[in-house]
Amino acid sequence: MRFVIEHLEKHFEKKEVLRDINFAFESGKIYGLLGRNGAGKTTLFNCLNQDIKADGGNFYLEESGVRRDVAAEDIGYVLSTPTVPEFLTGREFLKFFIDINEKTISNPKSLDEYFDTMSIEPEDRDKLLKDYSHGMKNKMQMLINMIAQPNILLLDEPLTSLDVVVAEEMKQLLRSLKAGRVTIFSTHIMDLALDLCDEIVLLNRGVLEVVDKANLDNQEFKEKIIAALREEGHE
Amino acid sequence: MNKTLRISFSLKNTYRVNSILYSLKQVPILKRLLPGTLYQVHGLKVFANILSAIWEVASIFLGKFLYFLILLAGAGMLYKEAAADRLFLHILFFLTVIGSFANTFLFNPSRDKYYAMILMRMNAREYTLVNYGYAVGKVVIGFLPFAILFGHSAGVPLWICLVIPFFVAGLKITVAAVSLRQYEKTGDATNENGLSKLAWIGMILLLAAAYGLPAIGVILPAGVTAGGMLLAVLAGLISARKVLTFRDYRDMYQQLLADSMNQMDTVKKMAQEQSRKVISADIGITSRKKGFEFLNELFIKRHQKILWKSSKRIALVSLCLVLGGMLAFYLAPEIGEKLNRLFLTYLPYFVFIMYAVNRGTGFTRALFMNCDHSLLTYSFFKQPRFVLKLFQIRLREIVKINLLPAFVIGAGLSLLLYMSGGTDNPLNYGVLFVSIICMSIFFSVHYLTIYYLLQPYNAGTEIKSGTYQLVLSGTYLVCFFMMQLHMPTLLFGGLAIVFCVLYCIVACVLVYRFAPKTFRLRN
Repeated sequence: MRFVIEHLEKHFEKKEVLRDINFAFESGKIYGLLGRNGAGKTTLFNCLNQDIKADGGNFYLEESGVRRDVAAEDIGYVLSTPTVPEFLTGREFLKFFIDINEKTISNPKSLDEYFDTMSIEPEDRDKLLKDYSHGMKNKMQMLINMIAQPNILLLDEPLTSLDVVVAEEMKQLLRSLKAGRVTIFSTHIMDLALDLCDEIVLLNRGVLEVVDKANLDNQEFKEKIIAALREEGHE
Repeated sequence: MNKTLRISFSLKNTYRVNSILYSLKQVPILKRLLPGTLYQVHGLKVFANILSAIWEVASIFLGKFLYFLILLAGAGMLYKEAAADRLFLHILFFLTVIGSFANTFLFNPSRDKYYAMILMRMNAREYTLVNYGYAVGKVVIGFLPFAILFGHSAGVPLWICLVIPFFVAGLKITVAAVSLRQYEKTGDATNENGLSKLAWIGMILLLAAAYGLPAIGVILPAGVTAGGMLLAVLAGLISARKVLTFRDYRDMYQQLLADSMNQMDTVKKMAQEQSRKVISADIGITSRKKGFEFLNELFIKRHQKILWKSSKRIALVSLCLVLGGMLAFYLAPEIGEKLNRLFLTYLPYFVFIMYAVNRGTGFTRALFMNCDHSLLTYSFFKQPRFVLKLFQIRLREIVKINLLPAFVIGAGLSLLLYMSGGTDNPLNYGVLFVSIICMSIFFSVHYLTIYYLLQPYNAGTEIKSGTYQLVLSGTYLVCFFMMQLHMPTLLFGGLAIVFCVLYCIVACVLVYRFAPKTFRLRN
């Protein structure tokens, strides 16, 4: 499966944020999306998630040569600030989600089994989500996106504010989830991108381009990325 | 000094000009016409500068004019027996005492002070003294014409009228000096936006003295008030020394502004906290339903406090009023006779009442803050069929919640009409009841529809839609003006029923057509 973006454009009044995005993402890979502040990473995600309307271009999924439009349920979007319905308990949120998606969830498990995979403790499962810590809310958000098994998983700086233990757990989880889907991971932390991602993609001056690692070691690769960002940012 | 005045003035002006431009950019339609670079456009800047200058002049005079017109001259007319000149001075005296600690300028932690002293590191003492001087000057100049105009027409001698502005300024300076001295002693800065309980009690007592005493015939003799005024002018002159020589303005404002600037940052957080607080922590609340009905039932049960409980309370109060009315009509039929005509012409008034008791805005707000704010970030939640399914469920719920008080009010009105002597046309009873029910349904549909069609909030729970706010204010204004309308109940009720039914049909069609696209988080 491939996720293809063609000539995607978005401008806010006269400011062109996304100029001409062309890219084909392959399933099974984690793409690290790097860009300078204000480069338009979140705008790109919002366009793909159809929260804002793009001004031009299109994107679609291609499965064994057949194109089809991206539907809402194809996309999972994890935001840096986790958002969960505060008035439900963890268990209720999970039940609600599974109830309304029962037709599309393949080999469903019991609620507790799901909680176990996320290492959410039994005593926390029946607490209201408003009383969850930041890290636990993040796990909950990830769990929902994991069960939904979206074809495209967009992650907007998801690990930045987690403690080291939870961050490591999440990294493992993302690796285990990458098969069969496109994962696009935006971050400012270069080491994280290099550690977790299979490809590094730069968003610069409104276009996307891949940075080829070739046979560089990590340090050389980092320098290449920074040089690319610096150069193009100030042309 | 001159430079400080100029810089602080231009700082305040820039801030104000940008606020004006920003609010212009919030107006629907206008925002499309204005360029994104509007802060650079010379013509717009000049326009905003003119507005800003007008505002500055208006702030000197307009407030004082209204103050004299309403609080002194207007209120004075209520006491027909009292001597106008003594009453004028009596009320002015007590209100000025309130103003001396509730409106100080010096202890108001405003944004421009924060920008100037903390962010831009201007010399705090110089900045404060220059601006305080300007503020006191504004008080004197603003008070002078109206003190003469209103004072003179109340029969106050001209020399006292001339003293009034200096009395007001003097008392403010005296209280400021006392607060500064207190800061030196205790290290606690007075904050006029966070008055102590004692200050509030004092304010209530002073208000009671200003307006209550004259009602029971006690008014300070003109000699006493005039003496007090002269004394305050003298005290002000002496106290000015303290204000001028006080050394610790920087430290004091650091404390004062740190507190309130933190508050400004947390306003949003507090709003979220507030929304979270209304969620019931009762772990006994569960639901046996499935899917969206499950979600809805838990939402309604966990938000009882702002939904069913408050609707029941309104219904109970309405019931008591109806019973009270019936008792009154029973005991004194002549009251009923007088009011009978009202029931047959004052139905438009009830548009406003139904507007006021509707829980719709609270419902949609809680829906967003505690539910949709998070769920809208999940793509499964945005699938068109789910959006519409949940809309149906929510519409049913909010209509139900609002129907309870509407039923009591509608039935109560019909009953009261009957008890007050009835009507020749029995259709009136039905129309009265049905139109009240329709109004209630109308408001429920209205709020939920505009919420779904305009979804005004962004991910940070701020309202980003000017249109939404315009529609809300428009709704208020229309309802408010309905109070001025007197029309036969049969006619108005009939029209209201037709309108509500049509509106509901149109609204639902619009939601079905557009909500799957519009019900998104704003950016």
